[in-house]
Amino acid sequence: MIETAIQQIFNAAQLGAVYALIALGYTMVYGTIRLINFAHGDIFMLGGFIGFLLVTLIPGLPVAVMIPLAMLLTAMVGVLIERAAYRKLRGAQRMSLVITALGVGIFLENLVRILVGPQARQIPAQLPNKVLKLANGVVITEDKLLIIVISLLLMVILWIFVNKTLIGTAMRAVADNRDAVQLMGINLNLIIATTFAVGSALAAAGGIFFGQAYSIDPYMGIDLGWKAFIAAVIGGIGSIEGAVIGSFLLAGVEVVTVAYLSSNLKNGIAFGLLIILLLIRPNGIMGRAELKKV
Amino acid sequence: MKRSVWLLSALFVMGCITGCNEKGVKIGVSAPISGDIAALGQSTKNAVLLAQEEINAKGGINVGGKMQKVTFIIEDDENKPEAAATVFQKLINQDKVVAIIGSQSSKCSNAGAPIAEAAGIPQISPWSTNPNVTSGKQFVFRACFIDPYQGKVVAGFARDKMKAATAAVLYDVASDYNKGIAEVFRDEFAKSGGKVVGFETYNTNDKDFSAQLSKIKGATPDVLFLPNYFNDVPLQIQQARKLGMTCKVVGSDGWDNQELIKMGGKDMEGAYFTNHYSPDVDRPASKAFIAKYTKKFNSQVDAAAALTYDSVYLLVNAIEKAGKADPKAIRDAIASTKNFEGATGAISFSGSGDPTKGAVIIRISNGKFVFDSAVN
Repeated sequence: MIETAIQQIFNAAQLGAVYALIALGYTMVYGTIRLINFAHGDIFMLGGFIGFLLVTLIPGLPVAVMIPLAMLLTAMVGVLIERAAYRKLRGAQRMSLVITALGVGIFLENLVRILVGPQARQIPAQLPNKVLKLANGVVITEDKLLIIVISLLLMVILWIFVNKTLIGTAMRAVADNRDAVQLMGINLNLIIATTFAVGSALAAAGGIFFGQAYSIDPYMGIDLGWKAFIAAVIGGIGSIEGAVIGSFLLAGVEVVTVAYLSSNLKNGIAFGLLIILLLIRPNGIMGRAELKKV
Repeated sequence: MKRSVWLLSALFVMGCITGCNEKGVKIGVSAPISGDIAALGQSTKNAVLLAQEEINAKGGINVGGKMQKVTFIIEDDENKPEAAATVFQKLINQDKVVAIIGSQSSKCSNAGAPIAEAAGIPQISPWSTNPNVTSGKQFVFRACFIDPYQGKVVAGFARDKMKAATAAVLYDVASDYNKGIAEVFRDEFAKSGGKVVGFETYNTNDKDFSAQLSKIKGATPDVLFLPNYFNDVPLQIQQARKLGMTCKVVGSDGWDNQELIKMGGKDMEGAYFTNHYSPDVDRPASKAFIAKYTKKFNSQVDAAAALTYDSVYLLVNAIEKAGKADPKAIRDAIASTKNFEGATGAISFSGSGDPTKGAVIIRISNGKFVFDSAVN
């Protein structure tokens, strides 16, 4: 019994790591321009497909090159989407932005479907994937372990970037007061573009890990995007630590429900608990209530 | 005023395009061209196009002494019930088809069947094995066996040939086919003295099954039954093996597509599944079809393609027998079909929309589907 329990902790950690890489994009974009970028799940999907295409078009491309390259390309797409679809609407009603984001998402799904086809595919194994036997029949594969470690590493780098660098400070300043920041001579467009680039790059990493461990198809961003978005909300949308905590919490609740109750109840219980949590803490675990000056 | 004139003439032109070329027989096809089982939609389309080419090369269908060309109108139902309902409506109301082939998955056929039934248009589903598709309906037929039969066959195979005392099931709870056959297997396996130690579910589009599989691993079953489609099964087996599960694996006819081996690779070796036919069985109609199909499309035949091809010819035979392209007459002719020699074996109807047919067991060996045994 204890072996199964430990096994389930590893399962939850891997799922949580993927959720977190997507949730960070939601949280960063919301933090800076108060936009819930519903196309973000599809950027995650796009990242997976860019990784897949790189591996198939350039045989023998080492994984240490493939992942950063795919992250860079996806970051460029993210910036392009912001430039083409969102920038003009920055001063418009909040609702117009949300609808545009949903439209961008559907556009990306269908674009990939037409270009690459609707079949599910797997990114050929790049990470080492030997099965490691721990004590008492508990097993973990090397790629699972690597996915968890690399994801955590990326999250730490992001935290340092936002909290310790000049551009990170500017991002936080934009989040605080967009108008005042421009008076201080900060290039608002550059900061927002950077936010989209970083968020998209992390989503691409998530997409590649996901395509390696599971499989990728044009519609995979929908379900996962929703879950990651909800994880970000539980953690307190706008907060980086919150997105990570929320993701691991959601994955944990899902896995525990399957392990000790019933797999039928997975989504019902997971989301039921989240509703209760949001009733107690409406701004999420790490969120702060916004202060309104009168 | 001007605008309404334009509108009227546009409507008139459209009416001519859709209504003026009334020559020939029009048959609708509802297939999953895109969506999660798109690979199967492609083989459906291939089989239909092959049949259309053959029929028209011979001059068409002999309708009461007059040769009429046949046109198949292939629509995409995305393997979604709501889209299938729209496709059926469109085929019946706009295209005025005399009959419909499809859909492939049970959940889509279940959505389309009531529409065909209400309109009095005969429907033949090639590959939908869920019992609800035809039950209580006059105009709905299928070319395959049904899940209570298939579930019994696979449970018997697991008990007798695989010598399994315990079994676990992991299935998609959101799909009629998967759920139906999982429940039949559970009951039949228990009835024959086995013990079902795990009965776990997931939802369509889930990719991570490790929580369910870890739970099943803790129960150490002799055999794992995966009554799911070919796009999910490789992930399930890979994840089970990565968790260190070594049990035997068995599946159902939803496995039959080359994508299964392409994605699953060597993890699929040694697994068994029930199917409608095997290319290895020596049967003239089957050999002829496989030769033509592989030559034209340069890809392997799956059961859905063979069943679609049989459905088309079942229908064409019925139209020729009826002597007129009238839905009611076609329906009666299908219902009285006896010993139709198809690519998947002999098909006869007796009273209901379900034919009497046997099943085969396929083994996966060296990356190929190999005939193991036949069950009647």
